Amino acid sequence: MPVMNIVQAVTRTLSSEMERDDSVVVLGEDVGKRGGVFLATQGLFDRFGPDRVIDTPLSEAAIIGAALGMSVHGLRPVAEIQFADYVFHGFDQLVSQVAKTRYRSAGQFTAPMVVRMPAGGGVKGGHHHSQNPETHFAHTAGLQVVYPSTPSDTVGMLRSAVRGEDPVVFLEPKRLYRAVKEDVPDDPDRLVPFGRAAVRRRGDDVVLISYGASMAETARAADALAQQGIESTVIDLRSLMPWDKATVLEHVARVGRCVLVSEAPRTLGFMSEVAAVIAEEILDTLLAPPLRVTGADTPYPYAQDRAYLPGPRRILNGVQKVLDY
Amino acid sequence: MIRDSSRFQPFSERPVRLVGDQGEWLGAFELDLSDELLVQLYRDLVLARLLDERLVRLQLQGKSSFVAPSSGHEAIQIAIAHAVRPGRDWLFPYYRDYGVASTLGVPLVEIFGQMMGTRADPAKARQMPSHPSSRALNMFTAVSPIAAHVPPAVGAGVAMKLAGRGEVCVTSFGEGATSEGDWHAAMNFAGVQGAPVVFVCENNRYAISVELQKQSGSATIAEKAHAYGMPGYRVDGMDVLACLYLMREVVERARDGFGPALVEATVYRYGAHSSADDDSMYRPAEEVAAWRRRDPLPRYRALLERRELWDAAAEEALRAEANAALSDAALEAEAAGEVPFAWMFDDVYAEMPWHLGEQRAEAEG
Repeated sequence: MPVMNIVQAVTRTLSSEMERDDSVVVLGEDVGKRGGVFLATQGLFDRFGPDRVIDTPLSEAAIIGAALGMSVHGLRPVAEIQFADYVFHGFDQLVSQVAKTRYRSAGQFTAPMVVRMPAGGGVKGGHHHSQNPETHFAHTAGLQVVYPSTPSDTVGMLRSAVRGEDPVVFLEPKRLYRAVKEDVPDDPDRLVPFGRAAVRRRGDDVVLISYGASMAETARAADALAQQGIESTVIDLRSLMPWDKATVLEHVARVGRCVLVSEAPRTLGFMSEVAAVIAEEILDTLLAPPLRVTGADTPYPYAQDRAYLPGPRRILNGVQKVLDY
Repeated sequence: MIRDSSRFQPFSERPVRLVGDQGEWLGAFELDLSDELLVQLYRDLVLARLLDERLVRLQLQGKSSFVAPSSGHEAIQIAIAHAVRPGRDWLFPYYRDYGVASTLGVPLVEIFGQMMGTRADPAKARQMPSHPSSRALNMFTAVSPIAAHVPPAVGAGVAMKLAGRGEVCVTSFGEGATSEGDWHAAMNFAGVQGAPVVFVCENNRYAISVELQKQSGSATIAEKAHAYGMPGYRVDGMDVLACLYLMREVVERARDGFGPALVEATVYRYGAHSSADDDSMYRPAEEVAAWRRRDPLPRYRALLERRELWDAAAEEALRAEANAALSDAALEAEAAGEVPFAWMFDDVYAEMPWHLGEQRAEAEG
């Protein structure tokens, strides 16, 4: 089994999917000779040529809009948005066009396409290189939204995205790009389906739920809790639209206490939805209210780059609150 | 990349015009279209006009919630449909393109079904009226946000170039669209890629109420093409032969691998922007009357009559036939009935996710 980090997981998956299926093309800014600013498409240009690895003009509207037209015509485009923060230039294409193509044509036209974008803070990038825009997309009917946190999930979910029949917003945890390495199974058809969470750790005292880059801090918090004798169940949602309600409710109902960790701003963040569903459906099993530990409702700050993130200290404070309730 | 048209000069300020006010042929070359096609063009013009009048009436009768009238735009719309290979080439139209739809062969019953939101609409009445589409004829489903269909048209064009099957994509829009960032991004991408895309601006001088001088810093729309490395042409968009000759040239030029082109068709919409608009608030009646005198139908009919291809009896027969077809289609579309409530939850995704299943169950209570 090859060992790889998350960027390598992206590159290798794109390469093998392009090898497998001629209709898969890659487009975006600097994705060609440069291999992308994070090198996520490194080597693809040399291997597949300029017709399938397309350096586009600097326009997210053109990238996402063109990807839609390509997909409607039969290609399976994988568009790269250089930073998730830039997707808003193409927001209308995603929201008005891509998301609604299947619906407004009653399935006569479809958009099997992927829009990849590195997201999240902790890289000293200020408010235009650090945001987590997943709520905008999860709030838009017609889009699937996934945000893996491991190389293995990145491979399996990117395959599912490329081979699926609906558009996917594929968020990549950029501060973990090279921070996490693991063995990834060789099987070229191993898919990680959307809508299934992964239970990373099992314990009976508290359930920690997170996704994307915040999984790293959540795992560290779980380690620290274990040292204090507090055993946590850790759930990686991986997929936000759709999300795995069954797994979440099963474990939260069993344990009765949960902390929901996301680095996106709190108000109407994805964890607000998870908390609402927990409250609506299993209130009588709860020993404490669901508690969100999230980024602040401020623009992403530059100077307080790390402090903005819900780190282990804030997660532990949250756990203490639900234990003390 | 630019291969100039053989007959028409790009970037000339004067719109291409081939038929005079009295129906006289003005072209410097011979009119070499078959009599059959010449007559068919007129039949298509009349059908498009009568269809538009019918759709406007449908809204007034309360059978449709909205309409964006197309009268005045017929000549360029019919030329677009005649310049492409139906079902092989692709169209990315805008909401006013009913003349494109009817000429291309979108069944009238589907058009009425879409306008009335009944089961006769293959798109399950998902969109508000005046948003045409046809899967069978590669006519992409129109959207309301202005110019939002233009980047996808270019993406389809890039895909066509890669496929190498000689397909062409035609996208149409009003002059207001040329102010949107998406439009410029799309034009630029098409220019860079040399994609087989023909951009057609149906310039009717008003984006709802805002007149051309407040819309565009350049004197013409066509000249914007220059910045994107493609030829731009101006054509009298109410002269069906000028439109057809020019459209055929730019479409075939794109098909032959010489890249995109922009066509600015000068037209005038005789109706308001939509059924929700009152055009008397922003344009004088004399102006509308002046443009009525340039109506594409009588001008072209005069050409046919000069060539003894048309007469009053033919006119009467055509109108009777078209009106009957329109009436039948409207009745059939209405009789198809309302779409069921539960369809609301279909086609959001290929497979219905759990949360939509829950919401459907809740709504059905």
